Amino acid sequence: MPEVEVNGTRLFYQQAGNGPDVVLVHAVTSNQAVWLFSGLTDALAADYRVTTYDLRGHGGSGRPPTGYTSAVMADDLLALHAALGLGPAVLVGHSFGGVTAMHAAVVAPAAVAGVVLSDSFFPGLRHVEPNFGRMAIWTDLRDTFAKVGVALGDVVDFTRLFRETAALDADKLKALEDIYGAFGRGWLRQLPKLAETTCGGDVLAEAGLTAAALAGIAQPVVALYDEFSPFLSTCRWLEQHLSRCTVEIIPAAKHLAVLDNTAGFTDAVRRHLRRLTTAASTPV
Amino acid sequence: MRTADLVLADLAGVVRATFPDRDYSATVGPHTRAFADLELASIDLVVLAERLEAFYGRRLAFGPFLKGLRDRGADDLELGELVAFLQSQVV
Repeated sequence: MPEVEVNGTRLFYQQAGNGPDVVLVHAVTSNQAVWLFSGLTDALAADYRVTTYDLRGHGGSGRPPTGYTSAVMADDLLALHAALGLGPAVLVGHSFGGVTAMHAAVVAPAAVAGVVLSDSFFPGLRHVEPNFGRMAIWTDLRDTFAKVGVALGDVVDFTRLFRETAALDADKLKALEDIYGAFGRGWLRQLPKLAETTCGGDVLAEAGLTAAALAGIAQPVVALYDEFSPFLSTCRWLEQHLSRCTVEIIPAAKHLAVLDNTAGFTDAVRRHLRRLTTAASTPV
Repeated sequence: MRTADLVLADLAGVVRATFPDRDYSATVGPHTRAFADLELASIDLVVLAERLEAFYGRRLAFGPFLKGLRDRGADDLELGELVAFLQSQVV
């Protein structure tokens, strides 16, 4: 299995295609299968060398007990980048994957040619999203878990989600698997494993990616936010405060554009990648 | 072309080698389902795809195959369908 040892853990990765480097970074509780099953990997591999990997604690990667802040995740990403000999890469990050990508852009600008964000919430911009804890996607999750007698509370709490899932008996877990379907089973199974780590609290920590740090990012950033995103205030903030930020709204999506509107999201990513990589290769 | 039975045998062997900590001692057949029967998750299919590519020594067009599952709203994947895909990819 293609793996690299970085920062005391191992990361499972895949690569496809040839061309300028693009790295796809999934969200917390997700894994790199989302890129393959949505077809995004193949769509991009026609023109780019696409690297996907599982964040620590996720998918086929190692699961150390600590290190789930964007700072450490960015270190992991940059170590993977170095280990694979990638050139300056455009990072495409969904949700927390985007936070990780932006943190990498701050820490190692030479390794990051640009960032494409998919509906990311930044802990350092929590003040921009006063209703963060009570967003609709958490409400949906809470209502689904309530069907099997699990109370998740009104405010986003990943640690509680992981621990409650770990405590489910086999019948309740099966009931949830039936609700979420075959493709949701992997997501559900990952949750108890993350209960053994500091992931739940870490991903909501600012970890040095402050508003000032974000505003200082000089690389081009594409903010693809979903039409029904809970983070549109964040999208507006990025557009107003970053020197090179382009915004595009993905229709008919509410935080999972790669799955909610696969065709629209894939088209947007391809267009913006073409623009970013063409500009990078055009002599001044 | 490699017969379906031989490819199924290949597949069963790679599955057992890829997930050695899981009990696949029961017969694995064309109607065995990846999710319901083998209890694989989507990421497991990614891992399995990589191991199958290593087994056959070539890149296989798993991307379009897996996307096709999702596009048609498939609830599961019978191994017979995976065998047919592998037969189309390997001589």
